Amino acid sequence: MSELLIALMLIAGSGKGDGSYFRPSLPEIAPVPFSAADAREIVQTAQDRTEATSQHYEGTLKVIDARGRVSDKRWTYDRLGSHGRSKAVLRFTEPAEVKGVALLIVNHPDRSSDQWMWTPAIQRDRRIALQDRSTRFFGTDFSFEDLEERDIDQYRYRLLGEEPVDGAACWKIEATPTGRKVSQYTRSVIWVREDNYAYARVENYDGDQLVRRLNYQRIEQVQGIWTARVLEMHDVRRNSTTVLTLEKLQYNLPMHDEDFTLQALRRER
Amino acid sequence: MILLRLITWPYVRRHLARASLTTLGIVLGVAVFVAMYTANQAVLRGLEHTVDRVAGKTQLQVTAGDAGFPEDVLERVQAVPEVKVAVPVIEATLETGLTGQGNLLVLAVDMTGDRSLRDYDLESGDEAMIDDPLVFLAQPDSLMVTEEFAKRNGLHADSKIVLGTMLGDQTFTIRGIMKPTGLGSAFGGNLAIMDIYAAQQVFGRGRTFDRVDLALRDGVALDQGRAAIERALSPGFEVAPPSSRGQQFESIVQVYSISMNISSLFALFIGMFIIYNSFAIAVTQRRADIGILRALGAFRSQIRTLFLVEGGVAGLVGSAVGCVAGLGMGRALVGEVATMLEGVFGIVQQPAEITLTPGLLLFALVVGVATSVVAAYLPARQAARVDPVQALQKGRYQVLTAGQNRARRRVALVMALASAALLWLGRSSVPFYTGYVLAILAALLLTPTLALLLAEALRPVLRWLRPVEGTLAADSLIQAPRRTSGTVAALMLALAQVIALGGISLASYAGITDWVDTALNPDLFVTADPSLAVRTFRFPAAMGPELRSIEGIEAIQQVRSVRVPFRGGPVLVVSVEIGGLQERARREPVAGDAETMYRLAGEGKGVMVSENLADLRGLALGETIDLPTPGGLLHLPIVGIVKDWSDQLGTILIDRQVFIRQWHDDSVNIFRIYLKPGASEAAVKARIFDKFAGSRRLYVLTNREVRGYIMRLTDQWVGMTNAQLAVAVIVAILGIVNTLTVSILDRRRELGVLQAVGGLRGQIRRTIWMEAVAISVIGLALGLAFGAVNLHYILEITRRDVGGMNLAYMYPVSIALGIVPTMLAAAFVSALGPGESAVRGSLVEALEYE
Repeated sequence: MSELLIALMLIAGSGKGDGSYFRPSLPEIAPVPFSAADAREIVQTAQDRTEATSQHYEGTLKVIDARGRVSDKRWTYDRLGSHGRSKAVLRFTEPAEVKGVALLIVNHPDRSSDQWMWTPAIQRDRRIALQDRSTRFFGTDFSFEDLEERDIDQYRYRLLGEEPVDGAACWKIEATPTGRKVSQYTRSVIWVREDNYAYARVENYDGDQLVRRLNYQRIEQVQGIWTARVLEMHDVRRNSTTVLTLEKLQYNLPMHDEDFTLQALRRER
Repeated sequence: MILLRLITWPYVRRHLARASLTTLGIVLGVAVFVAMYTANQAVLRGLEHTVDRVAGKTQLQVTAGDAGFPEDVLERVQAVPEVKVAVPVIEATLETGLTGQGNLLVLAVDMTGDRSLRDYDLESGDEAMIDDPLVFLAQPDSLMVTEEFAKRNGLHADSKIVLGTMLGDQTFTIRGIMKPTGLGSAFGGNLAIMDIYAAQQVFGRGRTFDRVDLALRDGVALDQGRAAIERALSPGFEVAPPSSRGQQFESIVQVYSISMNISSLFALFIGMFIIYNSFAIAVTQRRADIGILRALGAFRSQIRTLFLVEGGVAGLVGSAVGCVAGLGMGRALVGEVATMLEGVFGIVQQPAEITLTPGLLLFALVVGVATSVVAAYLPARQAARVDPVQALQKGRYQVLTAGQNRARRRVALVMALASAALLWLGRSSVPFYTGYVLAILAALLLTPTLALLLAEALRPVLRWLRPVEGTLAADSLIQAPRRTSGTVAALMLALAQVIALGGISLASYAGITDWVDTALNPDLFVTADPSLAVRTFRFPAAMGPELRSIEGIEAIQQVRSVRVPFRGGPVLVVSVEIGGLQERARREPVAGDAETMYRLAGEGKGVMVSENLADLRGLALGETIDLPTPGGLLHLPIVGIVKDWSDQLGTILIDRQVFIRQWHDDSVNIFRIYLKPGASEAAVKARIFDKFAGSRRLYVLTNREVRGYIMRLTDQWVGMTNAQLAVAVIVAILGIVNTLTVSILDRRRELGVLQAVGGLRGQIRRTIWMEAVAISVIGLALGLAFGAVNLHYILEITRRDVGGMNLAYMYPVSIALGIVPTMLAAAFVSALGPGESAVRGSLVEALEYE
C-alpha cells in the first residue's frame, strides 16, 4: 500500500458515520495463526470505513530536509468518490510562485491511476507517465505513486501479527502488489489499529530495504470517519520528512464529475 | 651505431643548418597533420563527450532526424512493454550574451521523470539545491546551470541571466546548480537544464519534442528493444544508441575531415621530396666517405642501412618536433574549425581540449619515420651501389647517366599511358585512384628529364640577362640535375595542388554565385538565428500572414529544412512552396524538364534532388525514393535534378504541404521576402522589427548580407585548405634553400676560383640568385602544367567522394598568374642567405676544398 493513498483513504469516510462496519470480533481473532483471508478482511473493513462520496480539505505541507531546512506549501484537495474509483484534484495555493499548479488524479480499480499536471505560467498540462510515478512529488517525501488511491484487490495480504503503535494495539499486515499493479515498492507493511480500524503506520520496502515510513497522527473522528489529521512521511534514504496537516476537512460535499477533467484542470481558480 | 657515430654525426654537425632544414620538411608535414587531426578530433570528442554525459543511463534514443516530432510519439514509446522509462528531450544551444562565454547548451527535460535516466548531481548532493522542484516546474524562467558556469559568471541561486529566446530576450532565474562532474561536464560545463514545456515556447517548437531518451526493462536486449520500438513507430523514426549521434556528426563533417586529411598528407608528401633531395645530395657529397668505407670492407647492406637509419632518425626527430608544433597549431585552429562547422553544418559544439593520444603520437611518428625512410630509400640504394674506385676519383657525380634517364622516361611513359587508359576505362574507385597515383608517379619520374630540358631552354635567356652569371647558373642546373630534381618535384607537386584547389575554389565560387543569383534572390530573409544553418529556433506558421500584411512586402516564401537519415546517411530536406519557387527563383534542372519538375513537385507528386545528392547516392531522374518521415514512408519519384549548394551532403526539395502532412510540423526556419517594386529595404526591415519587437527573436538579413554570409563561409572553407597549401609551399621553398645551400657547398671550389680570377662578389651573388629563380621557374612551369592534370583528378574526387559536386573545369589563370611573382620572389628571398654565405667564405678554404 502506498502512503498518501492510505492517508487519503483514512481521510475518506463511509458516508454513514454510524460505525456499522465496526467489527468488535476482529481483535478477538488476533491470536496466531492468522490466515491471509483474515488480513484481507481487516483491510477491507478499514477501506469500507473510510468510504465517502467526496472529500475536501486544505492541506499544509512542511518539508524538513536532512539539514533541517524547512519549506512550506499549501494546497486544496477535492476528491469525488472513494478508493479505486475516485478522481481528485490537488491545487497549490501557496507560495505565490506555485499558486495554480494543479494535479488531476484519476484512479482505476484494476490498474495504476492516470495523472496530469497543470502549469498555469505556461498554460500547459503534462501527463505524468506511469514510469515516473516513483519520482518524488515536487520535492516532498511523497512520490507520485503515493498520491494514488488504490483498490484492495491490487494487493495480496498476509497477517504478520500484532504490534502496538503509539500505545495503540495494531494488526501488522504485509501487502504485496499483485501482477496488475505497477509499483516501485515490492511490499508494504501496514499497522491497522484494532480499536477503530484506522491506519497507524505504513512502511514501504524495496526488497529488504525500507524506503519510506508514514506515521498517522492526531487520529480523530470527522463526520463519523476516523481520520488522521497529521501525516508524517519519512524518506529513509534521504533522511528527510514531510508533514501534511489537514485543515477544513469535510466529507460528502456535493461535487461534479465535470470538475475532475483535464478541461476543468485548465480552468484556473 | 659505430658508423652512425663515426660517419653520420660528424657530417650532421658540419651541415647542421641543412640537416635542420631537411628535418623541417617532416616537421611541417607532421605538424600540419597533427594540428588538423587534433583540431578535428577535439571538435568530435567535444560532441561525443557531450552526447555521453547528456545520455546518462539512456540506452536508446528515438529521433526523426533533427526535425522533432509531435508529443504523442512519447506515449507510443512509453507504451512499448520492453521500455522501462522513456523521457522527452529538447536540446538546443543559445548564445549567452555573456562576454567570452559563447554558447550555452540547453537540455530541456521533463523533470518529473527525467531523473530516472540522468543524475543531475546537484551541489551539496541534495536536490534541495533546486530550491524548490515545484517552483522550478511552475516558473518557466527556471534554469539549472553547472557550478563551473555559475562560478565563471558569478551566478548563484536566484541570480538572473538574460538569454535570447524565440520570444525575444528573456530573463531566467538560476534555481539549481549542478556539480561540474557527470552531466555537469557536458559541453565544457556550458550546460543548462530547463523544463521541456517551457523550452517548447522558448525555442518555438510548438508541441513537439526533439527526441525521446529511454532505458529498457531489465533483461531486454538492446536489439530486441530497438525492434519493438521500431514496430510501434513509423519508418521515419530512428531508434539508435546515443553513441550513434557522434557517428552521425562524424558522417556530416566527413567531407570536411577528408579534405583536411588529404591536404595534411599532401604536406607530408611534399616533405618527403625534401628528404629525398637532401639524402640524394648527402650521398653525392659523401661519395668519398662511402668509397673509403667500401674499400675498408663495409658491405653494401651496411651502407644502405646507414642511410636508411639516418632517414629514420631524421624522421623521428622531425615527427617528434612536428607533434609538439602540431599541438600548438591545433590549439590555435580548433576555434576556427568549430566556428566553420557551425556555419556550414549548423552544429554548435564546444570543442574538447586538444590532446595528443598515444595512438596519434605513434601514428605521427610512424608516418614521419616511414615517409623519411621511404624518401631515403633511393639515395640509400644509390649509396650502396657506389663503386669504391670511382668514388675515390674526383669528378661530377650528379649527372644522370643517359641509360638511367632513358629507363625513367620509358617507365614514366608507360605510367602516363596506363593512367590515361584507366581514366578512360571506368568510373569505379580502384582504376580511378590507381590512375591518379600513376599520373603523379609519371610526372615525378619525368621531372629530372623535364627539368634538364627546361634548364637548357632557360640557358640562353639567363645568358641574355646576365652573360656570366646567367650562364654559370644555368650550367650549374644542367650539370647537376639530381641536385635540383627533388626540389623541383616538391615545387611542382605543391603548385599542382595550389592549381587544383584554386580550380575547385574558382568553380565553387562560380557555381555558388550562380546559385545565389537565382535561388537566393529574395530581398530580405527573416531568420531566427544569425547563422542560417542553425535550426535551433523556429517560427510559428502564423507569423507568415503577419509578415505578409506588412507594408512594402509583395510575397513571402516559408522554408523549413530538416536533416534526416536517408539510405544510411544524413540528407537535408528543404520544404518550400514550390509554386512560389518556380515563379521567383526558377532554376533550370541538370536532369529533367523544368516545367514538369516544378509542376509535379508543386503538386506533391515528386521531389527535386540536388545534383550532389544524385551523384553521392547514385540517384537518377525518374527513380522513386522512399524517404522516412514521422508520417510514414514518403514514396515519391525524382522529377528533377538541380544544382543546389544548400548542403554538402545533398538536398531533397519538397513542397511545403507535403512536409506539413508527413512531418506534422508547420513551423518555419526562414521566411524569404520579396518586396514590392519601389519599396525600401531599410523601411520594410524596420517595419518588421517594429511589428515583432520584444515578442519574437528574429534577424532580418538583406540579400547582400546573405550573399556575404555564404561567401564568407566559402572563404572560410577554402581558407582552411589554403592555409595548408601555404605550408606546402613553405616546405617547397625550404627545398630551394636546401638545394642552393648544397649547390654552393658543392661549388665552393668553383666559386673560389671565380673569385680568385677576379669574379666580383656581386657576380657570385647574382649567380646564386639566378640559379634560385631558375629552379623556381622550372618548378613553376612543371607545377602549372601538372596542375592542369591534377585539377581534373581533384574535380573528379570532389564529385565522386567528397561533396558530390559536379564542378566545371576552370583553370585558375588568375591564381596561376599570382603564383608566378610570389614564387619568384620567394625563390629570390630564399637565395639571399645562401648567396651571402657563398661570398663570405674564406677563399683559401674554398680553394683547399676537396
